[in-house]
Amino acid sequence: MAGTGSCLVLFLCSHAAGNATLFHSLRLFQAYANQLHGHPMIIYVLSKGLFLTFAIHIITGILLFWQNRKARDHKYKVQKRTVKMSQASRTMIYSGLFILLYLIIHTSAVSFGDHETIGLTISYLFSSPLVILFYITAFIVLAIHLSHGFWSMLQTFGVNHPKYNKLTGWLTYIVPISFLLIFGAIPLLFI
Amino acid sequence: MTKNSIDLTLKIWRQENSRKTGVFETYRLKDISTDMSFLEMLDVLNEKLTREGRDPVAFDHDCREGICGTCGAVINGVAHGPEPETTLCQLHMRHFENGDTLVIEPFRSRAFPVKKDLIIDRSSLDRIIQAGGYVSVNTGGTPDGNATPIPSATAELAMDAAACIGCGACVASCPNGAAMLFTGAKISQLSLLPQGQPERKERAMAMVTAMDKEGFGNCINAKECEAVCPKGISIRNIARMNREFVKASFLG
Ligand code: HEM
Ligand code: FES
Repeated sequence: MAGTGSCLVLFLCSHAAGNATLFHSLRLFQAYANQLHGHPMIIYVLSKGLFLTFAIHIITGILLFWQNRKARDHKYKVQKRTVKMSQASRTMIYSGLFILLYLIIHTSAVSFGDHETIGLTISYLFSSPLVILFYITAFIVLAIHLSHGFWSMLQTFGVNHPKYNKLTGWLTYIVPISFLLIFGAIPLLFI
Repeated sequence: MTKNSIDLTLKIWRQENSRKTGVFETYRLKDISTDMSFLEMLDVLNEKLTREGRDPVAFDHDCREGICGTCGAVINGVAHGPEPETTLCQLHMRHFENGDTLVIEPFRSRAFPVKKDLIIDRSSLDRIIQAGGYVSVNTGGTPDGNATPIPSATAELAMDAAACIGCGACVASCPNGAAMLFTGAKISQLSLLPQGQPERKERAMAMVTAMDKEGFGNCINAKECEAVCPKGISIRNIARMNREFVKASFLG
């Protein structure tokens, strides 16, 4: 979970950097897309690798969810949660599945379309306020997923030391909010 | 009702044995001294039930001073009740208000079958210990206490982990019924100390494997365990267990 999660965070970083070309101009973005597709090897390895990473992350996530459900088959009549962070952590599977829905829509609209006219495709896409709303909702859900996921990933890797816990506690909010700001601003450019 | 006593309504899980399903029964208690511990309050209830010819509530206890890890129940949704770093036997009735309704349930998890009322079978934790929670020592003369120097900071960390009394509140409060805090504390305690080094890797592998075999859930880092632990065991011990496990599996 943490292994694939960290790969996905790295992917988000590169994806955010690539998309940030849109802040300059649609033309630069198109040039970036053309450049990317000028290297079929890179596209091949990254897209297959990314698909595999997502698949492993999602399948493990769902398996864990079922296992955990079984382990907690006796419910309490009264249950109080003592930790404030647990809302995001308890809804990882739901935020994850929403992201999956987004991914299916997003990839079928963008990845399998014609990359030569990708600039046009997205400006057409973002001409609909409904699409913009859906995209921004998905980014907010992603931010919630990562507000637990980022810290959780570090803890799973064994990164927990009183010296750094303040820093990791901050990063788990700063990293998702940065993604939210970058990705969220893009559809707004088209309004 | 005198000044230092309260009246309570108790809703307690009653279950005859592990094969039957249980139900909640409601009891009313009057004039409970606020100086009593939670278990003493249950004693009062049991005396009353016995006098009425009814079956007293079965609950586990031993030391009644917060060090043995035998007691425990979930009070209004929180393992060991509302006071932080307190076992049920050390929880005093002054933390409750007159007229309160208390829902009292056993620690629940698939790996903790209820034996009767509030008593659960925690032998799954024992089997994790049997898998590797020990050091093997050859017989012979008693070694000198100071023969093996241990840095003070290391000794403190090991002691923090060793404070675990194995009560199972971590499992009971975990949304997934995981035993990572317990196992993490036990692995940490020994892996920090020089005496634990020879069996360090086998121990990490064996104890984690035993934990999975018992049917505990998986950690999603929700931190509930740390919040209810009567000994304040930190999830830093879980991170240390993860490191130990990764080292043992990849570095052989
Ligand atoms: C597409 C559908 C997705 C699903 C179904 C999903 C599901 C899950 C679930 C159930 C967990 C909790 C596992 C645990 O804590 O043990 C989790 C954790 C995590 N997810 Fe996702 N996720 C998805 C997408 C993403 C994406 C797009 C990212 C992007 C960066 C991501 C990053 C993470 C991280 C970093 C963790 C924490 C790993 C850990 O707990 O050690 N996930 N995911
Ligand atoms: S009875 Fe020993 S810890 Fe409560």
